[in-house]
Amino acid sequence: MSSKTTIYGFLFVGLAVTLALIVAPAVYAVSLSFYQMDSFVGAPKWVGFANYVAVMQAPEFWRALVNGAIYALGSIVFQVVLGIGFALVLNEAFPGRNLVRGLSILPYLLPTVVVILTFKWMVDGGIGIVTKAVEAMGLPPINWFESPGAAMASTILVSVWMWTPFVTTCFLAALQTVPQSLYEAARVDGTTAVQRFFHITLPMLKPILTVVVLLRAIWMFNKFDVIWLLTRGGPVGATENLAILSYRHAFNLFDIGGGAAIATISFALLSVAVLIYFWVFPLEDD
Amino acid sequence: MGRAKTLPRRLGLYIAALVISVYSAFPIYWMVVSSLREPTELLTNVSLIPNVLSLESYRNLLELTDYPRHFMNSVIVAVVAVLVTMVFSVMIAYAVTRQRIRGKKVIVGAMLYAYMFPPLLIAIPIFTIFARLGLSDTLTGLIASHLTLTLPLGVWFLWGFFKSMPFELEEAAMVDGCTRLGAFLRVVLPLALPGLITVAIFSFLLSWTDYTFALVMIGSDANKTLPVGLASMVGSFDLRWGEIMAGSTLIALPLFAAFALMSQYFIQGLGAGAVKG
Repeated sequence: MSSKTTIYGFLFVGLAVTLALIVAPAVYAVSLSFYQMDSFVGAPKWVGFANYVAVMQAPEFWRALVNGAIYALGSIVFQVVLGIGFALVLNEAFPGRNLVRGLSILPYLLPTVVVILTFKWMVDGGIGIVTKAVEAMGLPPINWFESPGAAMASTILVSVWMWTPFVTTCFLAALQTVPQSLYEAARVDGTTAVQRFFHITLPMLKPILTVVVLLRAIWMFNKFDVIWLLTRGGPVGATENLAILSYRHAFNLFDIGGGAAIATISFALLSVAVLIYFWVFPLEDD
Repeated sequence: MGRAKTLPRRLGLYIAALVISVYSAFPIYWMVVSSLREPTELLTNVSLIPNVLSLESYRNLLELTDYPRHFMNSVIVAVVAVLVTMVFSVMIAYAVTRQRIRGKKVIVGAMLYAYMFPPLLIAIPIFTIFARLGLSDTLTGLIASHLTLTLPLGVWFLWGFFKSMPFELEEAAMVDGCTRLGAFLRVVLPLALPGLITVAIFSFLLSWTDYTFALVMIGSDANKTLPVGLASMVGSFDLRWGEIMAGSTLIALPLFAAFALMSQYFIQGLGAGAVKG
């Protein structure tokens, strides 16, 4: 077998799999959005842009868009602030540092389901540890899921806990590349630690900060599992984002075309973020 | 940063480290402790350390629920998904780094793009296609859907890995009479082992923890994987928190064990942005 045959053989097999599993479904998703379908095996009927019109005329759509933005923005801001703070601490030398670094990653390894169930158990109204602690401090009980604002805050809180390690790890790696000589020179000039952070550390972290915020924005804006498991999008749609709305259309209302239309709109919004990503970080050849 | 650390500064550092540890680990500790309490004590006692350790919640979970079956399903799905991902992602990544191929950037760019897809957006078309093919509610269908998460990750990661591997190694082997395939199998693969391990770990993590695809693809109780099976225990009957926490601990255990044994691969992969979520 010649060298070229092997390489092209590899490429052909690989591309066939990718085409079948990723490209075909993506194209199919877009095409589904132009059909009306009441069941997954029924015959589709061409309706043009009717699904898009119907979806965008519903107030839920705009509410989901706003909810997604609030959720993404809120969770990213706290993840980044906490992540930078943790990375700064874990970058210092102290006994047991490796253990603390290890512990700080653990939340990221847990399946979403486990995190949500543990959170629900900890805030359980009767016997949850957090409920008991709040009670012991003489504070009024917290209703984590009942009001729209509280439900949104709960989803953000849980998400921040889960994904802060991602940010911490990225920043910790970046901090280790900042040359120590910069700090020493600044210290000789009599700067304070705060000044050094804003004038040396933060500018040096800017590239990784851009990557992290873009990636987090892409993933948080369409988050499904956390919100679905925690609130089902409720109460009365207060935490419903486009992903939840799309799922409800396709699998609860059996409006598959409508679900596909919402998914396609999400694709389009997501693609803007991805294009920005490629523009800021062009793919380097070899 | 600082060399001569003053006492207050050092104290502040210790407190911060303690806060980070408690914040990150307490919920996990609480999950494990709750799973080990006696079920009667669970609802009356919130002491940080249980009086008696008991395996009753685990016994109930394994004897009275479908948990063992869901555990097996999860193992099958994750292991097959990892193996398939490794084979195909190595092939694609190797081909695009070692040959001048037109549209190579398009292939790699498409992979990175696919890697950023939120699972739910692709779940609707995949479910529709699988329903027509008769693959809905099968483990095969679920494995195929997991490949949409793991394959782009594998190609993207190994692409970076192969790029940094010098061509001379295979060329030397080929000058010595090896075929391209022989050089690939005997020289490239062994050297790529650390990259392959990282891909295997993160593919396993993605497949093992997936809730979204399993929720969409699997309907029958018999084919559920752990995350969906466990989630359906809440609300199906009275809330058995002991059993639920025992089930949660058992899902998390393989991940923690893998992390403890192979933490350098985890850190390396995380640093390279290897996991979505």
